[in-house]
Amino acid sequence: MDLSSDKRASTLPLTRIRIWYGILLLIVAVFGLRLFYLQVIRYGHYKTAALSDQLKQYEIPAARGTISAYDGGASVPIVLNQTLYTVYADPSYVKHPEKVAATLADVLGGSSADYRQKITRKGSRYVILAKKVSKAKKEQLLKHEYPGIGAQEQSYRVYPQGSLASQLLGFVNNDGKGVYGIEQALNSELSGRPGQLKAITDVHGVPLAASTNNVSTPAKSGDKVQLTIDLGMQKQMETILKSEYKKTRSQGLSAIIIDPYSGKVKAMANYPTYNPAKYEDVTNMKLYQNAAVSNAIEPGSTMKPLTTAAALDQHVVTPTTTFYDPAHWLVDGYNITDIEEDGGAREQSVSSILSLSLNTGATWLLMQMSGGGNKITMKGINAWHDYMVSHYLFGHDTGIEQGYESAGVVPANDASRPALALTYANTAFGQGVQVTALQMADALSSVINGGTYYKPTLVASTTDADGKVTTNKPKVVKQHVVGSKVGKQLEPLMENVVKTYLNEGFGYMRFPDRYMVGGKTGTAQVAQPGGGYYKNIYNGTYMGFVGGNKPQYVVVVFNIKPDVSGYAGSYGGQPVFADIAHMLIDNGYVAPKQ
Amino acid sequence: MTYSSSLALSQQHYASRHQNSVTFRAKERTIGPVSNTIILIVLACLLGLLYLTQVTKTNAYGYTINSLKEKQTQLQAQHDDLEVASARLQSLDRVQHSTVASSLTPVTPSGTVTD
Repeated sequence: MDLSSDKRASTLPLTRIRIWYGILLLIVAVFGLRLFYLQVIRYGHYKTAALSDQLKQYEIPAARGTISAYDGGASVPIVLNQTLYTVYADPSYVKHPEKVAATLADVLGGSSADYRQKITRKGSRYVILAKKVSKAKKEQLLKHEYPGIGAQEQSYRVYPQGSLASQLLGFVNNDGKGVYGIEQALNSELSGRPGQLKAITDVHGVPLAASTNNVSTPAKSGDKVQLTIDLGMQKQMETILKSEYKKTRSQGLSAIIIDPYSGKVKAMANYPTYNPAKYEDVTNMKLYQNAAVSNAIEPGSTMKPLTTAAALDQHVVTPTTTFYDPAHWLVDGYNITDIEEDGGAREQSVSSILSLSLNTGATWLLMQMSGGGNKITMKGINAWHDYMVSHYLFGHDTGIEQGYESAGVVPANDASRPALALTYANTAFGQGVQVTALQMADALSSVINGGTYYKPTLVASTTDADGKVTTNKPKVVKQHVVGSKVGKQLEPLMENVVKTYLNEGFGYMRFPDRYMVGGKTGTAQVAQPGGGYYKNIYNGTYMGFVGGNKPQYVVVVFNIKPDVSGYAGSYGGQPVFADIAHMLIDNGYVAPKQ
Repeated sequence: MTYSSSLALSQQHYASRHQNSVTFRAKERTIGPVSNTIILIVLACLLGLLYLTQVTKTNAYGYTINSLKEKQTQLQAQHDDLEVASARLQSLDRVQHSTVASSLTPVTPSGTVTD
């Protein structure tokens, strides 16, 4: 037996095993090194790559707050949210366009040919076929499972009352931002706060609950806003404005009903108006504006009650004071005159300044503020300027919850300004000063309520996402606008204006005895862009109150350039006021005298 | 009986009689390294399995949560739709032009508001 060959034969398998073992170790080592490279050295890169696929980040939209108004004592929603759908097509995927177009026309309405043209449009991957499609129609359409046809949900503002209070409300544009009206003024409160979801998801985008790094912040819905507006008043006032707009061939009508003891606006409207659900269809952008707060005009003689109140407050006249009216005053070389019907030079009274609407009377009041006599001095100018700017707060925003409020214009009381006395004589009867209907309503409110200027408001309360209700209490902006007795002195003077018109044959100015109604007309000249005033174009204004034992509502009307035969105030502003006053009385909104 | 076992028995007897003494230690049983490794591997596997079942279960809850959230969204949308429909049905224009309103007979003012 060959021992050496036996030994070789016995060690050969062992050597092979060792070689294979070595190869195996080598392979394992290669794998190990590769794993080390991938998992340790390239850890950051692959983690980022994996997360980019698995980690999804969503913004959870917050529901915009709804807006409600009062219907008597009940709260009625007038702006709500609704999820509707935008139906779109990707023409590159659409097959059988004839069939698809026919189905689209059948479900969505419209022309099949139009849809065919849209879904076969070349060079476009996204064509909108219809907007604001209901859920039922969307489902009816998508059940066909046509390739290239889809629907995307979107939350829209809906207005169950149609165009009611549209300019007061404003709308939400395509960027989800509130513009105009209360939507603009309270945009941040109404918008709420969007939530966020950051999570590792599965292939379908469903968050994996086991991931410890998920971040979920719920969305916070916007505040619900309860307006002070009374639906019944608002609706009827809008009907009146629409009717009077046609009757007076007006270029624009605005009116406000306000509670003088709290500053709460009960109705605020303009005509013409628009439907906020179709705001894209509006071609005249001015329609978006709430003219009652954004359009400052020269109010004309409706300023006279405020001039009278200022003179009464300064104790330079009393309600029974009489004076000789020469029927014209020469101020800075210009004649200030009255209308012919006022009867020329004669003895007049503080009461007849309002009932006859005497420009010379308003100028005389300014003269009395100047220290008496027949001159307008800086003393009187400064005093009247102070009343306009610091008492009635003309030239300042009222702060009402509306977009694009106008502050108006009060001429500066700069002594070096040429014809300053003439300018201020004009302001005493409402020319040369620009105010909004709301500012006039606030000013009269502050006089007749005993001298308190309340911040006008449209918001009764807000309710946040947690259900916490915040009541908007009346905010006093200024005390002692005028003395507490001035309002009581002014009321009969303004009631006398109403009686005077009634006696002159304006039958619609007859109101039941158990109610007090006072007011003042204004026929305001309209300034030309290049200076001076138009010859035959006027704005008709009216400022008054309606009440029982005391004035319950202040009403202001601005009728822009009415085409009426007669004074714009008497025939353009007054009928609107009368209609509103009758509406308030006839519908039981006013408590009669006890 | 061996010598050692008989000795142990006699010692036990002695101990029970006099109650004083002596510890009786049984032979220690030890687990070898292979068994230890296997047990550790099995335990690790069990822990891994436990972890996996818990993660799967949690993720399954995630799907349930997701499904409930979808349902909540649908119900909210349904609620919004109903609220809108209700508000539209009560709108002043609709009431004004409703068949009920149009069939109302105008009456002479009853004199509720008097001079």
